[in-house]
Amino acid sequence: MEVFDHLATGFMAAGTLQNLFFCLIGTVLGTLIGVLPGIGPIPALAILLPITFGLDPLSSLIMLAGIYYGAQYGGSTTSILVNMPGEASSVVTCIEGHQMARKGRAGAALAIAALGSFFAGCVGTVFIAAFGPPLASIAQQFNSPDYFALMLLGLVMAIVLAHGSVMKAVAMVLIGLLLGLVGTDTNTGLTRYTFGLSGLWEGIDFLPLVLGLFGIVEIIRNLENPPPPRDAISTRMRDLWPNKQEIREAIPAALRGTMLGSILGILPGGGAVLASFASYTLEKKITKTPRRFGHGAVEGVAGPESANNAAAQTSFIPLLTLGIPSNPIMAIMMGAMIIQGIQPGAAVMTTRPDLFWGMVASMWIGNLMLVVINLPMIGIWVKLLSVPYRLLYPAILLFCAIGVYSTSTEPFMMVLMIVFTVFGYVLFKLGCEPAPMVLGFILGPLMEENLRRSLVISRGDPMIFINRPISATLLVATVLMLCLIIFPQFRKTREEAFQEE
Amino acid sequence: MTAKDLKLTRRSLIAAASLAAVMPGVTFAQSKPYPDGTITFVCAFPAGSGADVLVRFFSEKLAQVSKQTVIVENKPGANGNIAAEYVARAKPDGYTVYVHSGTSTAANMSLFKKPPIDVTKALRGVQFINKQPFMLAVAADSPIKDMKQLTEHLKGKGGDGTYGSTATSGKVLAEVYLQLAGVSATEVAYKTGPDSLNDITSGQLDFAALDPVFALSQQREGRLRLLGVGSPQRMKSIPDVPAIKEFGYNVDQLGWWGVFVPAKTPDDTVMTLNGLFLKVLQAPDTEAFLNKFGGDVYTGSPKEVDELLAKTVEEWRGYVALAKIPQN
Repeated sequence: MEVFDHLATGFMAAGTLQNLFFCLIGTVLGTLIGVLPGIGPIPALAILLPITFGLDPLSSLIMLAGIYYGAQYGGSTTSILVNMPGEASSVVTCIEGHQMARKGRAGAALAIAALGSFFAGCVGTVFIAAFGPPLASIAQQFNSPDYFALMLLGLVMAIVLAHGSVMKAVAMVLIGLLLGLVGTDTNTGLTRYTFGLSGLWEGIDFLPLVLGLFGIVEIIRNLENPPPPRDAISTRMRDLWPNKQEIREAIPAALRGTMLGSILGILPGGGAVLASFASYTLEKKITKTPRRFGHGAVEGVAGPESANNAAAQTSFIPLLTLGIPSNPIMAIMMGAMIIQGIQPGAAVMTTRPDLFWGMVASMWIGNLMLVVINLPMIGIWVKLLSVPYRLLYPAILLFCAIGVYSTSTEPFMMVLMIVFTVFGYVLFKLGCEPAPMVLGFILGPLMEENLRRSLVISRGDPMIFINRPISATLLVATVLMLCLIIFPQFRKTREEAFQEE
Repeated sequence: MTAKDLKLTRRSLIAAASLAAVMPGVTFAQSKPYPDGTITFVCAFPAGSGADVLVRFFSEKLAQVSKQTVIVENKPGANGNIAAEYVARAKPDGYTVYVHSGTSTAANMSLFKKPPIDVTKALRGVQFINKQPFMLAVAADSPIKDMKQLTEHLKGKGGDGTYGSTATSGKVLAEVYLQLAGVSATEVAYKTGPDSLNDITSGQLDFAALDPVFALSQQREGRLRLLGVGSPQRMKSIPDVPAIKEFGYNVDQLGWWGVFVPAKTPDDTVMTLNGLFLKVLQAPDTEAFLNKFGGDVYTGSPKEVDELLAKTVEEWRGYVALAKIPQN
């Protein structure tokens, strides 16, 4: 098997003492960055980029990649413990993960997230090794109409995310779409809904939005209805580990999430985000006990966590095989490669096999390191919850403020965060959930751009969406999904599935 | 060591310390010439963007030649206006340095109805960085081999053709070419080059006006054919791609990057900084780095930067009217 020869080359290259060392630094740094809310992997990578100039190309890429998936990993920790997603893909983890923590199963949730991510990381690595190039050529078949159809499917899935009424979920998606419109319109170059505020020119920043809506609202909510005084949290290994029942529920979900994530990660633009949302939707759709969703369902943690880690892994495919960065983090990786004198693209595989396969192998090594570092840490993370609220809340507020301010050093970002905190509190009072809104906010602009592009290319003929096989298939899937939600005979099942009480 | 020595040492130490405590206010400026302290590069793009990589590359190199710490502060937003305004209002001491596209800085003067600052008055040029042209490209398997054939192809479509564009520079380059060639086609705007790739290679777009980093990397990967660069002559770093001008279309559109400081920065500080950047720009690895981004190294005096900035501001007034770009 050629793949194994390649992987052997990779492990030889990545297994040197120096590269193992940089892999460790990367994953540890990444975990820390992920755990500190607000300090995302993008600024961290950008800041560390100059440090890598002097390093050997493989070592520097291994370290940067380690920071990336380490942060993915660490991000789930804050989502579960304090309901604070550091980035878009961990918004979903908050939904069930934080509920598990509230029920005293924080340790189990963290362990499931860690093991699910590790499993997904392993599969993702094999995926890249075995199918990287052919998969990349599939992603190349996606044209504007196909992206539009994919985003539309994603938005319909967002409705399923909420457990309240359908109407509220639809309304939240629409509000998300409207918020996504703020900023400069790509087609005309004109600004929309900016009210003359220069801070809104490039659209609403993701971080103030999500930290306001989730993190700070969570604090206010807890201040309003103080949670029951917590028992001394047990840190015995037995209580930190998922029990048999939880493991049984988690394994199939992790498998499905990994599959979804591996495929969606290849698509440029929001692959990892779509993957975690899609996995949650899937788990909620196929479960036999939908009542548990929203109250700490194990599958709702295992599926999305595996999905986003698998997607994080496979999002390297377009960069390594096509030279196309599929998200801002990959763009930094591309910059790092260019600085090192390596032109990203298919040629890397043949001209620098040690580099290409070394990176692939290092991802597996890095994932292993993450599990080894994180599993023993779970006890410490859970203990963090026994910090009194009067200390914990100001600390969280401080980190949110630092994170939001440091992305652009503009005080306006703080104002935005306050605005979204107030908005999030109103939503909470009205019983509306912010998760569908976040998905609308992320997918909306992509959907609009691709819709308008497709129609300009087709000179206004909407048949372009039906004539292309990829978009036609995705649109059919969207219609089926809508039918499931709308038609009365299905609605009964849906209400069973999603009504809370 | 004897006790006396120790005493002496201690006494002289105390003396030195008290001297230092009194002196700084007086002698600081004379004894420690610029640069002596942390220099901040302002980057108008978010951390991690292609331009941010370039600014960080220069921050690292300038830190080496100046022996000072150089940090990068990202001030993204409003097409660079936020960063430009921030620099214009900074203390004019040479410690706040704006490393940015001169073309974009100048273009903002006509892209906005009310630009927050007059860049020619509020900023002062220090040094150039590079010259970097946008390019016209088609899919690698397209039957169109050169600019003449592209014009024929678009004529044949009778105005039904489409083209992709990224950034205002791409928009303007395509529009200038179309007007000079006397053909028309519909624009499809993309945020970034990678967004447009699949639509180009599948043949949905007849051609595209792209940034050099993306265009060159995809040409190397065998997905794009580059028909011409917007610069009046071929670029030194990519001699095999002809200038559009060689086909008889009088296109002279060359993007450039430069280094700027607040207008009131003293001459000697500007000259020192000019020399430091010159040292960086003359290093072979800087040239190799800039060539990878599709640009040629470009150096000059502070006065030349000021002059080119003023000239570019005027040119863009014409372009914005020509390409009918709406003002914000």
